This record gives sequence, structure tokens and C-alpha cells, in this order.
Amino acid sequence: MPSTSSSSSPSTPSPDLPATLHDPKSPFYQQVSLRRAIIASYWTIILLAVPLWWYTTSIERLALPSGRVQQLAQHSLELPVSICVEGPRIPFIDKIQVQLSKQISQDPQRWKGIAPRLFGSTDCEKSSGNKVYSVKFTSTTGTSIHHRQLHFPPNTAPSTIVEVLSSLLVPYSSSRDSKHRIVQYAPHYRLAFSLLNEDAAAGDVVKDWNIQAELRNYINPITRRLGALHNFTVESQVQFHAPLAFPPRPLDHSWGITPADLTVFVNSAEWTLSSSSSNDPVLHFILFIPSAERRPLVILTDTEGTVSPSSAFLVPQWGGIVIHNPTSISSSGTLPDHDVSTVFAAFATQFQSLLGVAALPRGVHAPEGLSAWQLDALTRRRTLENAQGSQDTLASIVKLVDQIENMPVGADVRDDVEDALAALQDMRDAAPVSLAQAFARSATALGLASRAFFNPGMLALLYFPAEHTYAVYTPLFASALIPLVVAALREFMAWKRERREAALMKAAP
Amino acid sequence: MLLAPIFQLLLWLSSWAWVSTASAVYEDAARGFFERHASSAGGSGSTHTNNWAVLVCSSRYWFNYRHMANALGMYRTVKRLGIPDSNIILMLADDASCNSRNKFPGSVYANPARQPDLYGDNIEVDYRGYEVTVENFIRVLTGRMDPSVPRSKRLLSDERSNVFVYMTGHGGNEFLKFQDNEEISAFDIADAFEQMYQKRRYNELLFMIDTCQANTMYSKLYSPHILAAGSSNLGESSYSHVNDNDIGVAVIDAFTHYVLEFMEKINKTSQVSMQELFNSFDATKLHSTPGVRSDLFKRPLDKARITDFFGGVAQVEIISLDSATISPEATSPTNDTEPLQLRPNVMPLAAKAQNMSDTVTTQTWLAQLNGKEWKTVRAWVSLAIIGALASWVASRK
Repeated sequence: MPSTSSSSSPSTPSPDLPATLHDPKSPFYQQVSLRRAIIASYWTIILLAVPLWWYTTSIERLALPSGRVQQLAQHSLELPVSICVEGPRIPFIDKIQVQLSKQISQDPQRWKGIAPRLFGSTDCEKSSGNKVYSVKFTSTTGTSIHHRQLHFPPNTAPSTIVEVLSSLLVPYSSSRDSKHRIVQYAPHYRLAFSLLNEDAAAGDVVKDWNIQAELRNYINPITRRLGALHNFTVESQVQFHAPLAFPPRPLDHSWGITPADLTVFVNSAEWTLSSSSSNDPVLHFILFIPSAERRPLVILTDTEGTVSPSSAFLVPQWGGIVIHNPTSISSSGTLPDHDVSTVFAAFATQFQSLLGVAALPRGVHAPEGLSAWQLDALTRRRTLENAQGSQDTLASIVKLVDQIENMPVGADVRDDVEDALAALQDMRDAAPVSLAQAFARSATALGLASRAFFNPGMLALLYFPAEHTYAVYTPLFASALIPLVVAALREFMAWKRERREAALMKAAP
Repeated sequence: MLLAPIFQLLLWLSSWAWVSTASAVYEDAARGFFERHASSAGGSGSTHTNNWAVLVCSSRYWFNYRHMANALGMYRTVKRLGIPDSNIILMLADDASCNSRNKFPGSVYANPARQPDLYGDNIEVDYRGYEVTVENFIRVLTGRMDPSVPRSKRLLSDERSNVFVYMTGHGGNEFLKFQDNEEISAFDIADAFEQMYQKRRYNELLFMIDTCQANTMYSKLYSPHILAAGSSNLGESSYSHVNDNDIGVAVIDAFTHYVLEFMEKINKTSQVSMQELFNSFDATKLHSTPGVRSDLFKRPLDKARITDFFGGVAQVEIISLDSATISPEATSPTNDTEPLQLRPNVMPLAAKAQNMSDTVTTQTWLAQLNGKEWKTVRAWVSLAIIGALASWVASRK
């Protein structure tokens, strides 16, 4: 016999153990209270786990200041422009004022966001400093610009004055082509200057160009003046084999490029034009030296073969190209300085028009080059663009977060949105005081709004429809939950029956 | 006794659900009509200045050789027509050319004549192998990238860009498999395009997909200026075009083959329209019904050129050198620009007060429920009803 303990024998109950352990008809776990406690503990754990489950599976979606974003969209930015007309004659100033108002009402789109204010004074510099544009009638040699002063010859008609003023203050018409050409705002550009020999093997190759000096002469003055708007990095290269993707059309003594071919001139498949070392936009400037067998290479303005006087063209938002047919190349293969100067003069023009520097109106001279009027007009344009761009971006963030339910919104996104809103508010505050500050704020706002939009954490979860949720969770949870629900229900009903019986017993003892 | 009212309730719920979805369909149709006619006043020419292409082959393994060839064929074509490599994002498992089973190592061919070699000598795969994931694809489209991602892996398009998105692989009703591992749904693509639209990452977008039941993939798109084409209808397979007995597998799919064949007749300066491309689709040759969706696209298809999406730049401006008469050093720096002074970021109190007040809404919660939320409510209500029924049956004993 392996065991002789008394507990193995059910017939003889031992005094130190509870009776339920020995009675097979009523084991201890069949106790009502114990059973209910077990079921209740299951339910307690499930109910306690629900918040945890909810918390761990929900996506973090912080509230965005959508009200302020919407409010912002309703107020458009107004940049004040004060123009002081020097001269004591009030009726004359009134005439200009009337003409100007007429101009504005004719093309409100062009004047959008700009609030010109005209006033007369006997000495503009003294009364309002040099931030105010002033119009004077002291010129002896046609209309000219000096800083923010505009000098007309005496007795200029008011209509002429208004014409010149409006093309200086808002040189950007709402037509499509200029919008097309100007690159989108970026705080940093890379300028890639390339000297491409079509085919060095054909001889007469240009190996070198005096780019440092010409950059200093033509490009640096512009980059210096535009330094408040953008930063620039310059890179350059020389290539010796840059074939065209199409054969130029042979003419009598030259080779021509038709307008259709001109659009596909850039052979991006075979020319390596810029390094991809950063994400900043690149502006390309290409000096193309045709193969010695195909000189001179000229641009045709139509399919009949009319030769264009120009050898330079511009690809909108991309860059500029100059085709140069060298006449004399030194034995060292260096392009003559005079030729390089001509080319860089063209590059400078292309550069300015790509960045949106408006040309001066006909008949107006600016001895100092890029004038303050042009720079201010560009700054105003960029400020308005950036303000609009950042407002649109903020609005679209809010809209997308509303629309796409499983898109997370983290603290960094919310902070960026808040900061962008603050920058926009600062811009509004700065606008009446200083244009440069307003621009700086608008650029900050655009940067922050874009960063919020492109936040890598904002990637929405993949589409997971409700049907899939049921399909995944039902086999998992239904089998566990249904017995629990049924057990709870049965216990509840048993409890009710007990209470009823107890009440009956009490009523009739 | 209790069953009868519940049955009635269910009947009522389902009929009401049908009515609400049907009215949504009519509303969409009406909105589409008005949007189309509001925009038809605009010009017909494209207003883009640059082109981008995102080419995705979502399959891997040797037997999916043809999907690799599809994507590489498109790559070759867009490159030939003038989109620079820097503007092409190619996502490719890239396990065909150097596969040990490839009898022609380093080459991928799309026809038994083995001309041309699609793998060529100048090919830039931006996302390779296991990098071809749904997440990366959506990150490329939306631009939500880690700052460290290099330029070549980014879609740096803007509001002047025409974007061509081509996908190929194995798919089904409203999904496309990525490397037998995960799948992207038509809803995800639609949402990604909407995010692109909101951030103005495209001017116009051409979405082309070659997979089984491909037309379902563009059915959920809702952003404007998108033109979509697919190889087969719901319930139809998309078939391969031709086998190469030496390579031992099918080398290209029919839809892509005929698109590429049409493209071979196009050069950089062609004026052929998208309509002509779509007209060239022949259901009997493809053994499936190709589909085109143009209701979101705001231009007539016969005005939209193929080179608007497959080519490079559309226009140039000749600049006269006479205007380039700036003399060197004439533009000396002057100090009339205002110095940049940075002020602390102080948000005015007024703005904060307004921020608080805008949380007050006067609408009732019922009025705020839109269609999607209604669906969720309906689903939960029906689940509750089923649960109640189940527990009622269980507790009867």
C-alpha cells in the first residue's frame, strides 16, 4: 500500500478539513459565492483592461488650432506703400491720386495685398525718411531712379507718372507666362554653371573659361542684392562630350535649331548637370559650345528657317542656356574674356528673370543697376506668396487631419503649426513697419508650415476598414466573450430567482 | 414574439442604409457635372514646367520577370521622351537581371527578339529589393520623408509638375500586393493623391496601373486633375503578352506591351494626344477590358498631349541679348535695405482669446455626422443587435 493516510478515505471525514472538500456532491468550488467571485473577477479584469487597450491602440491625434487657421484665411495681408510726391501743388497730387485709384480698380488682382498711400510734401526726405518712395520733378535727362527716389522731368503728365509708378510698384501682371517663368520661393538655391562642349573629339575645344572673374562681375552683385531673400551656392563644371538628342537642321552656311527642337534641347539623359548633394532647388546655366563640325549653330524662330538674332534662351523655372559659336580659341583652349563676358551678361539677365526681378519700365534708367524699387517689388511679391503659401499649407493640414481619420498628429506637428501661426501674426505686425521683417517672418512661416506638413510621423495608417476589424477580432474575442456573457447572465438570473424565493419564504414562513 | 420587432428594425435599417448610399451617388454625379463645366472655360494647354515619374514594380521573384520588364520598359520610355533620371523614382525589386536563373545576366528583355536590353547601361533604381514597400511608396508620394533621405529618392514636385505614376504587380479588387508581404488599397492611393493635391505637389497626374482587376484601383480617387488608366475590369485578370523560351517565363504584360508599342511611335516633340493612346487600347488583344477614368481630369483628352506626362519641358523663351546690357560692377551694394531684426515670438493675447472661443459649436451631433461616420454608427448598431440576439438566445434556458 503506497498510502495509508486517512484523507484518502472519503467515508471517514477528518475533523480538520472542511466538509465540502470531502463531499463529492458539493465540492468547495461549487460554492455560489466563489463561483460568482470568479466570474466577477474575469469581468473586472476585462473592464479594467479596456481603457489600457483603448489607450495603446488609439492614434495620437492632438488638437490643431483649426479656428485660428480658418480665421487667418479670412484676413488677407496688406503691405502699405507710401509715395511722397514732392511739390506744393495740391490739385496735381489729387490728379495723380485719381488716376492711381482708377488703375487699381481696373486690375485689382494685380494690386492685391498692396495698399498705396499718396501724399504731397515740399521735402520728402526730411518729412518721412528714406523708406518712403518719393517722386521728384528735377530730372534733366529723362526719367531716372536713385535709391527710392524717382526723378521725372518737370511738367510730366499725371498719367505717365501713374503708369511708371504702377509698373515699378507692381511689375507682375497676372498673366500666365511670368508666373510660369519665376522659380518657386526657396530660402536656398544652388546655381550650376556648366560649360558643355558638344563634341571635343571634333577639335576646337574650349577647355577653360575665366568663370571666377565673370561671376564676380555679373553674378555676385545680384546675389549680394538678393541676399536678404535667398542664399546661393555656386558650382561649375566643364564637360567635353554633351551630345544633342536631335540632329540640328542643316542650313546654307550654318545649322539651325527649330522651335520644337529647342524645347527638348536639354538632353537630360546624357548630360550630368548638377550633383544631387542637397535638396535645394538648382538653377542651371549652360554655355553650349557646338561641335566644330556644326558651327555656327543658330536658333530658328519658325520652321521656315528665319534665324533668331539671339542665341540665348530660358527654360522656365529651370535655368538659362546660351549657345556660343567661338570664332577664336587660344591654343590653351581658354575662351576669350570678351566672349565670357557676353555670355555672363546673358546669364545675369536669365538669372534675374528666373528669380522674378522685374525689368524696369521703358524709358526709366537706373544708374545703380538693380534698383531698390525692383528689389522691394520682388520682396513684396515673395512676402505675399509666402504668406498665401503658408496659409494654404496650414489650411490643408487641418483639412487632411479632419478628412483622414487615422492620420497621427504628434506634438512636433502641433508645435510647428503653432509656430507658423505665430510667425504669420508677427508678419502682420511687422508689415506696416518694415517690409524686410515682414518678408523674413513670412519665410519662417512657410518653412514651419511645410515642415509640419511633411512631418514623417504624419503618415496615415493603411486603410483598414471596419469589416476587416470584425473579421480579425470576432474569431479571437467572440469565443472567449460569449461564455463569459452567458455565465454572467445565468448567475444574474439565479441570483434574482434566489431573491424571489427568499422573499416568498419571508412572506409565508 | 420578440423576433418580429427586431426583424422589422433590421429591415428598416437596411432600407435606410440603401437610400443614404444611393443619394450620395447622385450627389457625386451632380457635383462632378458642375465641376467639369465650371473649369471648361480655362485654356486647354498644359501649364506645367517640369515632369516627374514614379514607376513601381511591386513584385519580386524570378517568375514575376514580366513585372520588372513592365516597369523597366516604362522607365526607358519616359527617359527617352525627356524626363531626366533625377525626376524619375524607380521602385523595383531588381532581382531579375542578376538572378542565377537568368540566362542573359545583367539584361532584362521584354520580347523574344531580345531587343532592346531594358536594363541597359544607364539605369538608376531608387528603391531596390526590400525597400519597395507600401510605406516607402506613400512616403514618396506625400513627401513625408526623414530629413536624411537623399534627393534621388524624393519626389520634389511642385504645383507646376506633371506627375506620372505607373504601378504593376499582382492585385485584386481594390488592392495591389507588394512583394507577397503587404498590400496597398485603392483608398490609400486615393488619400495619398489627395495629400499631394493639398500640398500642390502636382499640376496634373496620370495614374496608370497594370494588374489584375486594375480598374478598381482608381475607382476610389477623388482629387482633381487626375487621369487614370487601368488594364482590366473588376473580376478580370490581366494577362501576360509573350513568353521567351530561353528565359523560360513570360517577359511582359499585354497592357504595358501595347502602351509601350504605341509609345515607340512617339518622340519628344510629338503632338499625339492621350485620347489617341486610349483609343489604341484593344480589348480583344489584351484579353481584358482596359479602363480610363477622366472625370477628375479638367482638360479634354484630345488636347492633353502624351508628352505632357511622358516628356520633358513644354516651352522655352528666347531671350534677346540686347536686353542683357548690364555693365559689370554696375550693381554695387547699397545700404538701403532694412536690417533684419528678430523680435521675440510673442503671440498677442487677442489671438489666444479667439482660439478659445472657436471651440463653441452650435450644431447638434447628428448634423455633424458625415457619411463615413454614419457607416461606423450603423456597423456598431448592427453589431449590438446581433450581440443582443445572441445573448438573448443563450439566456433562454
